[in-house]
Amino acid sequence: MANMREIRERVASIQQILKITNAMYLMSSSKLKKARKALEATDPYFYKLQETVVSILEHTPHTAQLYFDRRESIPEDKRKKGYLVITADKGLCGSYNHNILKYTEQELKKAPDIDNCYLFVMGQVGRMYFQKQKRSNERFVDGEFLYTTQNPTLYRARDIAEKMLEKFRSEELDEIYLIYTDMINSSNFETKTVQLLPFTRRHFAVAPDGSLKKLPKASFVPSPEEVMSYLIPQYTKGIIYGAMVEAFCCEQQARMTAMDAATNSARDMIKELSLLYNRARQAAITQEITEVCGGASSIED
Amino acid sequence: MAKTFHLEIIAADRVFFEGECEHLVITAIDGLLGILPGHEPLVTCLPTGELKYMTGGEWSYAAISEGFIEVMPDRAVILADSCELPEEIDIKRAEEAKERAEEQLRQKQSIMEYYHTQAALNRAMNRLKVSQKHFK
Repeated sequence: MANMREIRERVASIQQILKITNAMYLMSSSKLKKARKALEATDPYFYKLQETVVSILEHTPHTAQLYFDRRESIPEDKRKKGYLVITADKGLCGSYNHNILKYTEQELKKAPDIDNCYLFVMGQVGRMYFQKQKRSNERFVDGEFLYTTQNPTLYRARDIAEKMLEKFRSEELDEIYLIYTDMINSSNFETKTVQLLPFTRRHFAVAPDGSLKKLPKASFVPSPEEVMSYLIPQYTKGIIYGAMVEAFCCEQQARMTAMDAATNSARDMIKELSLLYNRARQAAITQEITEVCGGASSIED
Repeated sequence: MAKTFHLEIIAADRVFFEGECEHLVITAIDGLLGILPGHEPLVTCLPTGELKYMTGGEWSYAAISEGFIEVMPDRAVILADSCELPEEIDIKRAEEAKERAEEQLRQKQSIMEYYHTQAALNRAMNRLKVSQKHFK
């Protein structure tokens, strides 16, 4: 029976895929354990860094610092915006990549002029996606910006931070944003944008009674300019590193969930198909018996 | 006035120290800096160097690489790339890193590479120095 053979082949191929997805599940769950550990170790640094820099900025006196320069003389539609996007190196991780690509597209739509948007993509999948898009407005993806997102290191973060700061200094870019996936808890991710440069400084804080109060100024040793020219690269590096760790952990979590779901649905399919197969086999046997009986009784007659 | 202040030392890969501290001495960009409770608000940067802090009348030492500190009268926060106790330092690794950096410095490099190597050499030398000084 053709039908039986077809079902048998189908079951065999599903079984093969099940083996692959199951192996990937095991791999990503062990990788996730490592990534989780790194995330837990880096989380305090990541959040404290943001907190501290906010509080430092509240106490910063006016400085003619390069990284604070908002370049207000440039009109909104002429501003060159750089987006540092963190995606995965590989697919097969559910909606992780899809979410971040869709989110980036939306961010780009918000920009007044898409010709002035520059993308710096970490991870194969995102780079391929944006490079393939041939549009009338040639969107610029930096092809030499090749960084993997596997196992984030401080060294890599430093490299990236230096590149981005260099682009800002040489006025190749006027604003730099970082797009990454933040882990809220093990089943909830959120795609986020963080403005890296230029820095904005607050002079006033809202007091509990609603009035504005002037914040006290801290002293900077040796000078605010010097401290800032040291602190800002440090901060940028820290933020990029933290985002890389978060994103990597999310990727592994997403892949694990996706592969678990794939394995489960493969098992379900096999179950269903084996039921069909047994039914077909039964039908075939029944028919054979009927034929044999029919043949025997015709001889008797 | 309070005798202690709250000190937090956070490295990129872990929380190194969190607790009450009586006296803190750091290497800032332009020299050593002592911090006692009630210090005026201050922000400064820490290059690769040594750090010591007093808890319960005893000094503890650490090797720190690149970071910054925010001091408020009742607390201080240090954020750094890495921070290690003298006994945690892997001398072999630091020595290897030092040799590698010295080797690379002999090659022709771009300015960027030169800075990177020099920073790496600095870190390695600092680790060796701190571990030799306080851990025998």
